[in-house]
Amino acid sequence: MRILGGIGRKLGSAALSLAILITLTFVLVHVAPGSPVYQILGPKASPASIRELNHALGLDLPFWHQYFRWWLDLAHGQLGTSYSVERPVGSLIVSYELNTLALQIVSLVASLLIAFALGLAHGVFYDRTPGRIIGGVELALYAMPSFFSGTLLILLFSMQLGWFPAGGLENLRLAHQTVASNALHMALPCVTIVLLTVPVLSRYFAQSVHEELGRDYVRSAAARGASPSRILLHHVIRNALRPLVTVLGLSLPSIFAGGVVVETVFSYPGLGWLLWRSALAQDYPVLIGIVLVIGILTVLGNLLADIVNTLLDPRTGYA
Amino acid sequence: MTGVVLSLRQLGVELAGRDGPRLASNMAPVLEGLDLEVREGEMTALVGESGSGKTIAALAVMRLLPPGARITGQALFGGEDLLGLDERQMRARRGSVGMVFQNPLSALNPSMTIGRQVAEGHRLHTGASAQAARRHAVDLLGEVGIPDPARRLDEYPHQFSGGQRQRVMIAAALACNPKLLIADEPTTGLDPLVARQILDLLAKLQRDHRMGLLFITHDLSLVERHAQRLCVLYAGRAVEWGEAPAFFARPRHPYSHALLAAVPRLGQATLRGIAGTMPDPGHRPHGCRFAPRCPQRQDACTRAYPPPVGDGRTQAACLFPLGEIPVAAALPEAPAATTPLPGSALLQMQSVTIRYGSRAGLLGGSKAAVAPSLDDVSLELARGECLGIVGESGSGKSTLGRAILHMLRYEGRILLDGRALGDLSPGDRRRERRRVQVVFQDPRESLNPRLRIGAIIAEALQLGGQHDRDSLRRQTDALLERVGLNAALAGRLPNAISGGQAQRVAVARALAARPDIIVLDEPTSALDVSTQAMLLNLLRDLSRHEQLAYVMISHDIAAIAWLADRIAVLRAGRIVELATTDQLVNHPRDPYSASLVASAPRLGAATITVPGEA
Ligand code: SF4
Repeated sequence: MRILGGIGRKLGSAALSLAILITLTFVLVHVAPGSPVYQILGPKASPASIRELNHALGLDLPFWHQYFRWWLDLAHGQLGTSYSVERPVGSLIVSYELNTLALQIVSLVASLLIAFALGLAHGVFYDRTPGRIIGGVELALYAMPSFFSGTLLILLFSMQLGWFPAGGLENLRLAHQTVASNALHMALPCVTIVLLTVPVLSRYFAQSVHEELGRDYVRSAAARGASPSRILLHHVIRNALRPLVTVLGLSLPSIFAGGVVVETVFSYPGLGWLLWRSALAQDYPVLIGIVLVIGILTVLGNLLADIVNTLLDPRTGYA
Repeated sequence: MTGVVLSLRQLGVELAGRDGPRLASNMAPVLEGLDLEVREGEMTALVGESGSGKTIAALAVMRLLPPGARITGQALFGGEDLLGLDERQMRARRGSVGMVFQNPLSALNPSMTIGRQVAEGHRLHTGASAQAARRHAVDLLGEVGIPDPARRLDEYPHQFSGGQRQRVMIAAALACNPKLLIADEPTTGLDPLVARQILDLLAKLQRDHRMGLLFITHDLSLVERHAQRLCVLYAGRAVEWGEAPAFFARPRHPYSHALLAAVPRLGQATLRGIAGTMPDPGHRPHGCRFAPRCPQRQDACTRAYPPPVGDGRTQAACLFPLGEIPVAAALPEAPAATTPLPGSALLQMQSVTIRYGSRAGLLGGSKAAVAPSLDDVSLELARGECLGIVGESGSGKSTLGRAILHMLRYEGRILLDGRALGDLSPGDRRRERRRVQVVFQDPRESLNPRLRIGAIIAEALQLGGQHDRDSLRRQTDALLERVGLNAALAGRLPNAISGGQAQRVAVARALAARPDIIVLDEPTSALDVSTQAMLLNLLRDLSRHEQLAYVMISHDIAAIAWLADRIAVLRAGRIVELATTDQLVNHPRDPYSASLVASAPRLGAATITVPGEA
């Protein structure tokens, strides 16, 4: 019962901050220069057709009117229709979100496995040569921005070797691809994300393993005659994983939202790319819809991490 | 030599300096030439203050020192030199040589059930099935006095009290069926009553299981009743060793004397600290290491490390031992005269009750009513009086101190000179509040680490409205001098002075406000034995000269009895007894205060000599 009350309170405050975020986005897109109509009709459009389209899209209405109509639509479960591809925003976001999730989850699982092994080795040999080498590699990877590593990967694996496609869709108007057909497209972006995530997770885990190894209970176990591998497996890993869960929780939002940079570099049709394209096209309904969805998913992600953390820690009494 | 479980021969340990790379030049000897014996069914006490090398000795035997440590000498366990074994062989011996550590909360794995932790050793050493190990764990937990062990097997360490956790640790060590058990300060941080019980438990187990027990402690009075043999360490070397009863009857080494005189005991009038500090490894004097602090010192002492003197029972490494003077003569009985309390009450607490709400956690918390931390407490404090508040942790004694300092909301009334603070104007209230100052347990945490000592005290003076630079300087120096510190210390940072000095600075800062009352919240418990006595002496001198009233809060009833005129015994937020010190120490009325008094070291116990014993 206690846990439910806490969740309720958290959701309440999250809904409020989300509403503020939406309002801010609304104001920002409307004060930004330019208009979606020019983007759709091109520079040679006649004033009459511009007026017509402005009216059709409801852009000639006063700001407040547009703002409240958006909330009213939301109350009816509508997020509006995309200006540029003329599809309902909801279904557009869902299909792109599925692509993002597929990419992110595959990358996350791969990152976790690699980071676990790497971090464990790093943590165990923290102050010794193998640990220092791993630490150096992590730092080098960490310093590499994703647009750089992504471009390198494209140059090597698609331009030179031709193993993987360099990009997926270029145009939103093209027929939408399915998750399955994206498998090949996923390889390089996935590697890029892994290269980005592994050093962070692995350093974090290494730090935590190193700290736990210095704790008194480790000495107690050693005093009972437990071997180093037993100490690691039975005592240290569980305690060392706890801070990792917190970090994962913090990164959950980016898992849902996808990476704008990575998806753009590889033209991968995910939510991040959609966000970027919609911003360029001044496709307001899509833009605001994405902000809303990312906001909601962020809140849910954080909540999930909190719950997992609570369950992991026996001191909170739920274990 | 039958029955010898462990025999240390010329054990020495060198550790790498705390900073800098591990170079040969950086190695500092922290323990040198230690000879020691532990026999079957007996307790050997290894006694020393922090920095003496006592824990290092234990970890050397367990071979659990940090990597890079250099160990010399021999540690014979059942005739086999543990120091000569490789890591694999040593691992098989660990457990047979069991160890119980200080601070059981951190020594237990927080995310593993205690049942599994207790069973672990048994499974490792006997290969027993999980089922059998679990049953064995229940038996052991029962044996160490955990009530209803079968039910508590699947609970986690945080669900146990401090004393119970230490019992769990002991059970986990027993599970390996040890022949030798090393207990490193197992009772430090526990309430005195609980500490006594743990010690009694260890003594009983040592007899029942015919183990040798190596008991490491800083507190001589603790091992008086149980130890058969003993060794006193100072700055990495043994200064006195031998049979415990003979030692307590006739200590020879000036350091042993000083240590005995520095621990307050009930009924004791004078308390002597040991001036100075223990030298760090690498900066130890040539010759006798105690020489810089020794009242007996002569020129010869600094030439070479003194050879042992003594008889077959005890020996001391000292050129001019004090053997002829029994401790009793050095510590006269307390005079019974207590000065009558003068004048009207300075501070009055009338029916003060304090409730802490349970704080809601991230995932919510119940607002269920909790028992008040302080329940209808009334007391008075006269000008210049010292009132002791004694009780175990959780009794509300610190809460009481905070209430006097107005750091908490309370129900009831607290009056200073008959006036309630709440009735005053904000300006008056601030001035009145300054009349009550506080000295906390850990001076390192209460002093701003980035301010120099001089600035810390000057700040307190400035709060009193003084801003003239020259006079601030003069007053700062004067305050440092009043607490027995050199004015040259004003330029140092808090972490560049010793714990005892830091606590004096905290006292000087309190004095800067010209208070009428100082609340002393466990003022000595973070300090080493020899420094504790110095501070208690300082506090007593100050109160005599300045008409200063104290509220001294502590779990150490002997320390309180030494300083206080009256003592209030607090239990579960209520005062169970409030009496003059003499009355409480000699004729406690409440059964709980009687048990507290009984658990405290008493003058005379150490000096009873039974000729021909042992
Ligand atoms: S040898 Fe000298 S300085 Fe050392 S303890 Fe004995 S008397 Fe004191």
